Amino acid sequence: MKRRTYLTATLLGAALASTPARADDDRIVVGFATAESGFMQAYDKPAQDAAMIRIKEINDAGGLLGKQIEVVNADTKTDRAEGAKAGLSVIDQGADLVVVSCDYDFGAPAALTAESAGLVSFFLCAESIKAGIQGVGPHSFSASVLAAVQGATMAQWSYEKKGARSYYRLLDTWTEYNKGICDGFDWALPQLADATLVGEDTFKNEDASIAAQITRIKSLPEEPDAIMLCTMMPGAVSAIKQIRAAGINSMILNGSGVDGSYWLSAVPDLSNFFVPVQGSIYGDDPNADVTAFNAAYKEATGGDPSTQYVYPGYVLIDVWAKAVERAGTTDADAVVAELEKMNEEPTLFGPRTFSSEIHHQNKARYLIVETTNGKPGVVDEWTIPEAIPVADLMK
Amino acid sequence: MSAILQILFDALSLGSLYALGALGIALIFGVMRLVNFAHGDVIAFSIFALLWPSTDAVAVIFAGNLPWFLLVPFVLVMGAGLSVLAEITVFRRFRKASPATMMIASFALGFVIRYFLLMLFSSRPKSISLLPALSQPVEILGARIPLLQVITIAVTVAILFGLTSFLKRTRFGLEMRAAAENFTMARVLGVRANRVIMGAFALSGALAAAIGLILGSQTGTADIQMGANVMLMAFIATVIGGLGSLPGAVIAGFLLGAASVVMQVTLPIDARPFRDAFVYGAVILVLIFRPQGLLAARGTKERV
Repeated sequence: MKRRTYLTATLLGAALASTPARADDDRIVVGFATAESGFMQAYDKPAQDAAMIRIKEINDAGGLLGKQIEVVNADTKTDRAEGAKAGLSVIDQGADLVVVSCDYDFGAPAALTAESAGLVSFFLCAESIKAGIQGVGPHSFSASVLAAVQGATMAQWSYEKKGARSYYRLLDTWTEYNKGICDGFDWALPQLADATLVGEDTFKNEDASIAAQITRIKSLPEEPDAIMLCTMMPGAVSAIKQIRAAGINSMILNGSGVDGSYWLSAVPDLSNFFVPVQGSIYGDDPNADVTAFNAAYKEATGGDPSTQYVYPGYVLIDVWAKAVERAGTTDADAVVAELEKMNEEPTLFGPRTFSSEIHHQNKARYLIVETTNGKPGVVDEWTIPEAIPVADLMK
Repeated sequence: MSAILQILFDALSLGSLYALGALGIALIFGVMRLVNFAHGDVIAFSIFALLWPSTDAVAVIFAGNLPWFLLVPFVLVMGAGLSVLAEITVFRRFRKASPATMMIASFALGFVIRYFLLMLFSSRPKSISLLPALSQPVEILGARIPLLQVITIAVTVAILFGLTSFLKRTRFGLEMRAAAENFTMARVLGVRANRVIMGAFALSGALAAAIGLILGSQTGTADIQMGANVMLMAFIATVIGGLGSLPGAVIAGFLLGAASVVMQVTLPIDARPFRDAFVYGAVILVLIFRPQGLLAARGTKERV
């Protein structure tokens, strides 16, 4: 009996001793619980590379609170159960900040692990309102901009700058991201005088053919001015290709998910095609520092950024480090308080705002990229004048 | 009028895709009672064969730059080759196994092919411009129809006629039909089993490659999961057509395509996201009233 008590005490003591001391130790550790293998890897790695560039910049400039930022990694293997384990693993290695997978569904297990350990977590580029307070908890943030802002931006910009009045809404029901774009579009459209929705339809990302949906567009008395296409890869390419192959030449408005020139070979000579982006990968960003970042990215990874989803990785380290600097500590609650004070905080990719209500961007500056004859380039920028209310985002 | 013609073309072209898939599955089921779930991965493989292995976002085109009269046979040979290889290395060893065991083996093979592609090409869908000349509309009786739809339907009809005369008129076709009806008896009567089965796999693989070509030029995308959806629909078509019946599989494929298009056209917007649920509902109804399928294959009937 006595022996057992002794054993328990020893075990307890060992457990206590092995609990990593956080916040008050003298290391600053960023833990990446992201996909290093499996299909999410293609989406996580570019943003993570960008985050590493910002970390290196900070370290080269003398570090954060006078200390060098250390990095630890754990592979989620694109598996939700592994995601929780990867979260625990980086926390055990002393992470002060847990960076999780780009997608809400794949990043949430690690973010929830960080939340229950009382640590700050950042989604690499999730664009669902759930990636933050609403879906994880008060210490969770996303580095990107809500999908709804993309839909609202495209509706307003095409109305104001392109004179579009008749809109057609084509929704791919596959993901929350797609629905988010169309939700933003639905929020913005009624505010635009004499803009009308002349029709709507849905499809599925994996549909082999969207011929029936296209027939519906073509049976309209007049071709709509613009088609709001709420979809993502890989179905997006298929939808765009089929719309153009059927001879429909309306403007096509999209979310940021279709940014990039890597797929344009599939739709030769694509024109009248518009995408909102946080920064330009095409070397024509109005901010020269973005072009400089692209060069730094190429030097670090050997290739140009393939889409704008590289940029949120850079932003997340940037804003987190600023908050740590201002708080003077990596203590989670103090850092969250500093992050929530950020109002239109300038970053390389537009201003960022966080509040105690929302840890995501419900208003943001977007560059508008137009593709003409298969050549994408920045033509304008747009900021929705009013933030989308949280209640509308929770629908 | 032109709208109805348009819908007819939509239905026929989607149906063609499913019919070709169902035919590929029914052919193999006919000769060896194997439901080949790796069929969808053969579709993906034959398109990825056009690309050079790379994990970059931009596809590195390899054989994809061939002129069409070389490209089409190349893809068909790739599909047929992989299928025959699968027969020799995997399925031949399962000849005496139960159909359930073979089905599991086909699942496993499908995973192996998919992860092999994942390893070489990453999960990122690759964009390819496959037969770009087909991506333009043509005018038929006042309706503007994508050229690819017309070609898809024409090619499918040609394949169906070609296959029918092959099965009916040639010795090899006769052996294949005999094997489908009663494999043991056919062997006793001198049909060379390995040759027939390999022939069925080659044909099935080439059909998968044909689907790959159509899907690839329609969507402009090579994705390691690109065959999964068609494979599922094709499998359902073979079941409602009557497992092992080739005409049944083709008819059911066209019916499924038509049902899918008609539901998309007629359902109200709020119900449209659940289109497939309605299609599968119809499938269940068919199976309740005709559990043996629309056209039951002679070989699969219980004999008293």
